[in-house]
Amino acid sequence: MTTILLGPQRFTTTVGATVRSLKLDGPIAMINSGWEERESEDAELAGHLDGRGVNLQLHHRMMDVLEKDEHFAAAALLFRDRQDELRAFYGIRLQAAIDAVQAVAHRSSLHAIGPAALESAVDAVRAVDAWYAAELDDLYRSVRATAPLDESGTIGWHRGEIGAVLDGCAGVVIAGGNVRTLLRTLRVFDVEIRPELPVVAWSAGAMALTDEVVLFHDHAPHGVTAAEVFDRGLGRLPGIIALPHAKRRLRLEEHDRMSIMARRFPDHRLTLLDDGAVVRFPDHRLTLLDDGAVVRFPDGATDLPAGARYIGLDGHIAVVGAA
Amino acid sequence: MSPPERLAVNRLRENLPLDGPTIDRFVTRFGSPIIEGERATFLYRGDVDEAWVRHRVVGLPDPLPLKRIGESDLWSVTTVLPEGSRVEYQIEIRKGEHYERFNDPLNSRLAHSPMGSSSVCAAIGYRVPDWAEFDPEARPGTLVEEQIRSKALRRDQPVQIYLPARFNQAQRYPLLIVHDGTDYLQFAAMKTVLDNLIHRLDVDPLVAVFVPPRDRLKEYPHHAPHARFIARELVPLLNDRLPLIDTPEARCLMGSSFGGVASLSTAVRYPGYFGSLLLQSASLVFTDIGFDHGGGPAFDPVVKFVNRYRQRPTAVVDRIFMTCGVYEPLITPNRSMVPVFRHTGMRVRYVESRDGHNWENWRDRLGDGLAWLFPGPQKFVYE
Repeated sequence: MTTILLGPQRFTTTVGATVRSLKLDGPIAMINSGWEERESEDAELAGHLDGRGVNLQLHHRMMDVLEKDEHFAAAALLFRDRQDELRAFYGIRLQAAIDAVQAVAHRSSLHAIGPAALESAVDAVRAVDAWYAAELDDLYRSVRATAPLDESGTIGWHRGEIGAVLDGCAGVVIAGGNVRTLLRTLRVFDVEIRPELPVVAWSAGAMALTDEVVLFHDHAPHGVTAAEVFDRGLGRLPGIIALPHAKRRLRLEEHDRMSIMARRFPDHRLTLLDDGAVVRFPDHRLTLLDDGAVVRFPDGATDLPAGARYIGLDGHIAVVGAA
Repeated sequence: MSPPERLAVNRLRENLPLDGPTIDRFVTRFGSPIIEGERATFLYRGDVDEAWVRHRVVGLPDPLPLKRIGESDLWSVTTVLPEGSRVEYQIEIRKGEHYERFNDPLNSRLAHSPMGSSSVCAAIGYRVPDWAEFDPEARPGTLVEEQIRSKALRRDQPVQIYLPARFNQAQRYPLLIVHDGTDYLQFAAMKTVLDNLIHRLDVDPLVAVFVPPRDRLKEYPHHAPHARFIARELVPLLNDRLPLIDTPEARCLMGSSFGGVASLSTAVRYPGYFGSLLLQSASLVFTDIGFDHGGGPAFDPVVKFVNRYRQRPTAVVDRIFMTCGVYEPLITPNRSMVPVFRHTGMRVRYVESRDGHNWENWRDRLGDGLAWLFPGPQKFVYE
């Protein structure tokens, strides 16, 4: 199982060289439903794949299902409304919990109460995250009970086509875009990527491969300022939280803030994926393309390979394997 | 540290007496006003007896007299203009008994409003926000014109409904109700602003309904039929016809000047029905004692309403975004209302600008206001 995570591809394009380095023999499945209505504008991406790209058209298929399957469309709308409401309540609770952590962290402590108070405050944030995840699980269970995806003829037909295309492909690339849309299409069409099929993904695509998708944007003008648990991904790379555009979207220089973020997710490595970065997962070797890193995960391995950059519990950027 | 450079007009004065070609070259080169650091020099050229700059900047004398340079037909006045300022003005002249007022002939930059146009003086550091200008990359939303039969107003009320780009019945949208809607579209480029802010992911895709008044001075200061139309007719109708998020949090009233009063008073009449307000230079005039407010009869109902609200302020929405220009007379009432609103528990974000009571000021503040009230989906997008 080769899985390669790349940095954003807009300015430093590494996907072509990366896929060529895999020496794949056959078509490459393209998943770019995160581009939403621009999904079909894939000529540039297909060009990087030397014309071997086959678009799975997941967004287009989703529109088709919403149009043809009224029962599913109603259930999908209801699910979205309920998830939005859940996220609104989660946001209120999360922001309050994060504000408490920051207040505790900045309070003077003369009698060594501070560290314990801080740990407890971070625990409270984790509890809010866990509450959201549990509620979301309930929501999925509920929607599965009322509108089982397996019973939709339209979805079944599309699943069949997608499976057939994937069976004929030698690899998969997953592009960035809107991670919510991307995850939704992957979930509805139950896109299963065989373990032996190499995958190259970036930005939202990289996030979708993990088991914990966390939304973040420290520079967003308004709204919830803390990173938010959003959903589960495909789980191909468990234990990793992908942070694309980390330099641009995170206040990496604020180590206290980064430390709190890392401590919220102690079972995960917060992996930085900036321009030029490539995280490669079959042989634990770091390959450098252009001026960035390649992070490659070996067969079955989910630990970050040497050279990959992540946010340590102390809030500083650490490099796997560095002394 | 080098000494500040002398003003251009003072360098010109060294060449007295001025001949016509010298003045021609000067005004061609500099135009008017001349911005030098935090100073603005206004010029007027003509055979007149007196000339003034007319403006409504609180703190500067109005009229601001220009002085003739030597014996020439060139007049000038220099005033301080802090960084980031933007001022609308006109030139007034007297020739014998004849007075005339017009836009600055030496300045092509104009701002428009329902009252006509004015010349614009932009200080160093002022920039039109790029999201206020047409962006060919931004997918345009659509405006749909409608006539709504209103029992409350006893008439057909025209509205324009903005549907964002990629509007989809399978989505749900928040609702923004805009007082003085036609003016916001025409003079504050609000469709362009919405298209751009949504395209940039700064603002969530939303439905906006632009509502023009018929008799503004009657309908906007605390008028029960107007509030009933908005809350009991317009919103339910739109909820029936459009995929809106049917919760108070997703409903916002906005307006400027008297439109700000209309927004607040509608929320006060229907507390808890709207989640937020966007108030721009709201005419929140009040008196602490007596009733001598100095605003004229049009402000009587406003003052009555604001005085009553200040006696027993209550939380009528969750959040208020307030803006006001520091050069307008309403700055003091607006500043005074911020703690009153906050004391009720409403969350208030208050922004001041170095500008006046005008549409471009209100346009320039829309980015902050709309992004705060309707945060966009930036967190979802990782290209």
